[in-house]
Amino acid sequence: MKNRKHALAPYILTFPSLFLTLALSIYPIGWAMRYMFYSYPGYGKMTFIGFDNFRRLASDEMYWHSVLNTLVYAAGKIVLTLPIALILAVILNQRLRGRHLLRAIYFLPTVISTAVMSVVFYVIFNSYNGILNQYLVKYGIVHANVDWLGTKFAMLTMIIIAVWGAIGNYMLLFLAGLQNIPKDVYESAAIDGANGWKKFFYVTVPMLGPVLQMIVLLAITAALKGYESIMVLTEGGPIGKTEVMYLYVYKLFFPISSAGGAVQQQIGYGSAVGFVSALIVGIVTLGYFYLSRRLNNLQD
Amino acid sequence: MQKKPFQLVLSAALLVTLSACGSGTTKPSSSSTATTAPATSPQASTATAAATGPKTKLTYWTNDRGASDHIKAEVAKYNAENKDNIEVEVTIMADNYEQSLDVAFASNQAPDIIKMSGSNFAPFVKKGYLEPLDSFMTPDFKKRFTNLIIDDGNKVDGKVYSLPNYGITWRLIYNVDLFQKAGIAAPPKTLNEMVEVAKKLTVAGKDIGAYGFAGNFKNNGGFSRTADPIVALSTGNLSGFNFKTGKFDFSSHIPMLEALRKMKTDGSMIPGFELLDIDPLRAQFAEGKIGMYINHASEPGVYKNQFPAKIKWSAAPVPTIDGTINGAAQFSNATVWLGISAKSANKAKAWKFLENMYSPDVLKTYQEDSVGISAVPDVIAVAKKPSFPNMDLFIPNKYDALYPVVPAVTPEGKNVGDEALRYILEGGDVNKITADLAARYNAALDKARQAGSTTNKPMPDFDAKNLQGTMAK
Repeated sequence: MKNRKHALAPYILTFPSLFLTLALSIYPIGWAMRYMFYSYPGYGKMTFIGFDNFRRLASDEMYWHSVLNTLVYAAGKIVLTLPIALILAVILNQRLRGRHLLRAIYFLPTVISTAVMSVVFYVIFNSYNGILNQYLVKYGIVHANVDWLGTKFAMLTMIIIAVWGAIGNYMLLFLAGLQNIPKDVYESAAIDGANGWKKFFYVTVPMLGPVLQMIVLLAITAALKGYESIMVLTEGGPIGKTEVMYLYVYKLFFPISSAGGAVQQQIGYGSAVGFVSALIVGIVTLGYFYLSRRLNNLQD
Repeated sequence: MQKKPFQLVLSAALLVTLSACGSGTTKPSSSSTATTAPATSPQASTATAAATGPKTKLTYWTNDRGASDHIKAEVAKYNAENKDNIEVEVTIMADNYEQSLDVAFASNQAPDIIKMSGSNFAPFVKKGYLEPLDSFMTPDFKKRFTNLIIDDGNKVDGKVYSLPNYGITWRLIYNVDLFQKAGIAAPPKTLNEMVEVAKKLTVAGKDIGAYGFAGNFKNNGGFSRTADPIVALSTGNLSGFNFKTGKFDFSSHIPMLEALRKMKTDGSMIPGFELLDIDPLRAQFAEGKIGMYINHASEPGVYKNQFPAKIKWSAAPVPTIDGTINGAAQFSNATVWLGISAKSANKAKAWKFLENMYSPDVLKTYQEDSVGISAVPDVIAVAKKPSFPNMDLFIPNKYDALYPVVPAVTPEGKNVGDEALRYILEGGDVNKITADLAARYNAALDKARQAGSTTNKPMPDFDAKNLQGTMAK
C-alpha cells in the first residue's frame, strides 16, 4: 500500500502543472492551428481555403525578410550578451566589496518594463535631438547627427538595447553556475601554477559546460522570439529594417491603424505565419541542441 | 519544528491570495491604462438623493483622450440633471481600445455605450457588437442627420448603428516666424512651391536647427496624412481610390511621392522623420523646429493644451498638385461617434443617454470648446465660433466635403505607406511601384467584393467637384 502511494505521488504532484500546461498552452495552440487553413478576419464566417495561407507565406517577401532580420538580431544579441554576461559574472563572483549592489544594478534592466525601457532609449537614440547625438556633436566625435533609428543603424541600435536588457539576467544564471564549481578545483589549478586566464579557460569554462549549454539554449529561444522593444521603438521600421518574425505575426493579429483607415485582422494567415515561425525557432533550437550534444560526445 | 508557525502563516497567506484571485465580479472592468470617471459632481449626489428607486448604471467606454475633460464634464452634467434615474460611468481608454473591447465582449463585460471611429466601425458591426438605432430614432431625430447617413459609413445593410458628431478638416500647418525669417510671404499653393518653400525654410532655419518639412512616417500614417488631402483636393481620388471606376489607382499619388522624395534628398525633411510619431512631431513644431506639415483640426487644441506653442503658427488650405482644384479635401472622421452595445441589458436607457449626447445643446459645445468641427447642420447653425486660437482656420470652406467610404481592403505584401516610405528614402521606379500597389489593392478589393465584406460599387456619375460647397458655400 505504501509503495503504491509512493508510485502515485509523482503523478499527483505533477498533475496541476500538467493540467495547466494542457489547458492553457497545448489546447489553445491546437485551437489556433485550425485557423491556418481558413480565411478569417476575427468575426463572421470562417472560409476554408486549404493550404492557401501557406502558399501565400511561401512568396511573402516581407515575412522572409523578417526571418532574416530575426536571425541577424538574435545572432547579434547572443554574440554580444553572453561573453559580457560571463565576464561580469566571473568578476562579481570574486570577493569584491559591494558585489551584491553591483549584481543588483546589473540585474535591474530585467525587472524594468520593456515599454518604459524603450521610451528611455528613444530619448537617447532619437536621431534629431537624442541625448547621444547631442553629446557626440558637442565633443566633436561626429559632425552631424547620426540617424541611430534610420535605415542604416536601426538594427544595430535594437541589438544594443536588447543586449543592455539581457546582460543582467544571463549574468545571474552564470553566477549560479559559477557558484557550483568546487573551490578545490581552483586550488589544484593554482598549485599547478595556473594564472587567472588559464583558470578561466581551463577550469571555469569547461566546468560551466552544462550550464553554458542551457544558457545558450535559453538565449537562442529568447532572442528569436523577442520583439517588444522593437515594437515600441520602431514598429519594425523604417521600411522593414527592424521587422522581426514575431512582430510580423503580432501585426497580422493586431494590425496598427495610424492612417485612420479601417484595419483588418488576418487570423488565418497570422496563425499560419505563427506556426511556421514557431517551427523555425524549434528547428534552430534543435539544431543547436544536436550540435552541442555531438560536441559533448566528441569531448567524452 | 521551529519552522511550523512560519509554514502556517505562509499557507494562510497563500490561501488568502488564491481566494482573492478567485473572487470574481461581473462589473465591467477597465483597462489598466484607462481612467474611470463616475458621477463625481456635487449636483450628481443631489440628484441621487432626489431620485426614487435604484439607479440604472450605464457604462460608457471611449478612447477619445483629446476630449476627455469635455466628455467627463458632459457626463457629470447628465448624471446630475437627467430625470430618468440614469447614472453613466465613463471610462477613458488609452491604447489597445479595440482589443479591450474584444475581451470585454468575449467575457460578457461589454460597456453599454461605445465610442467608435471610421476604422473600427465596420469590424464592430460585423462582430455583432452594435445595436441598430433605427427602432429608437424618431423621424425628427433622424431628419437632423439626413445627409450624414452614409452606406458603410454609419449604415450597414440598411441599418443605422451610429451617427456623427464632429469631424476634422485638413490644412497645411506652418511656422509663421520661420516663414518671416526666410522672407516667404504666403504658404505654398502647389507642390513645386511646397518643395521650394521647404528648401528656403531649411536654409533660414539652419542656425536654430529647424527644417522645412515634416511628416509622421513612423507607422504608415504620415504618408496618408500628408498625401491624401492634397491628392483628394487635386484629383478627387481619396486614399488612392477612384470612386468613378470603383478601383484603386495610385498613379494620382506620383507627384506627391516625387515631391516628398525631393524634400528628403535636398535635406528639407526633419532628420528621423521616418520614425517620427505625430506627438513628437508636434512637440518639435511647438518648439519652432519644423516649417510646415499637414494635419487636421485637432492642432489648435494640441498647441493650446498639450504642447503650448512657443512660436506664432497658422494654417492654410493644403496645396494642390499643379494649382488646379478638381476635387475636394476630405472632412474626415465624421461618420460615426457613439453606439449602443448589442449586449447591453439597458438599451432603451442607453438610447436616452445617446439622445441627450446627440442633442444640439450638447453637440454644439464640442465645436465651441474646440474639441472638433461639427458635422451636423443644426449644430453648425447655432454653435458659436470655436474658442481656441486658429481654430477658425479649420472651419470647413467650400472645398471641404464628406466623401463616400473607401472600401477597407488588406493587400498582400507591403501597403501604400510602406511602399511610399521606401520610395521617399531610397527612390526607385515610381510608375512601377504605384502600378504594383494598384494591382495588389484591386486584387484584395475583388476578394472583398466576392466575400461580400464590402458593398462598394463603381459610381460612374461620381465627380468630386460636385462635393464642393456641400459643407460651406
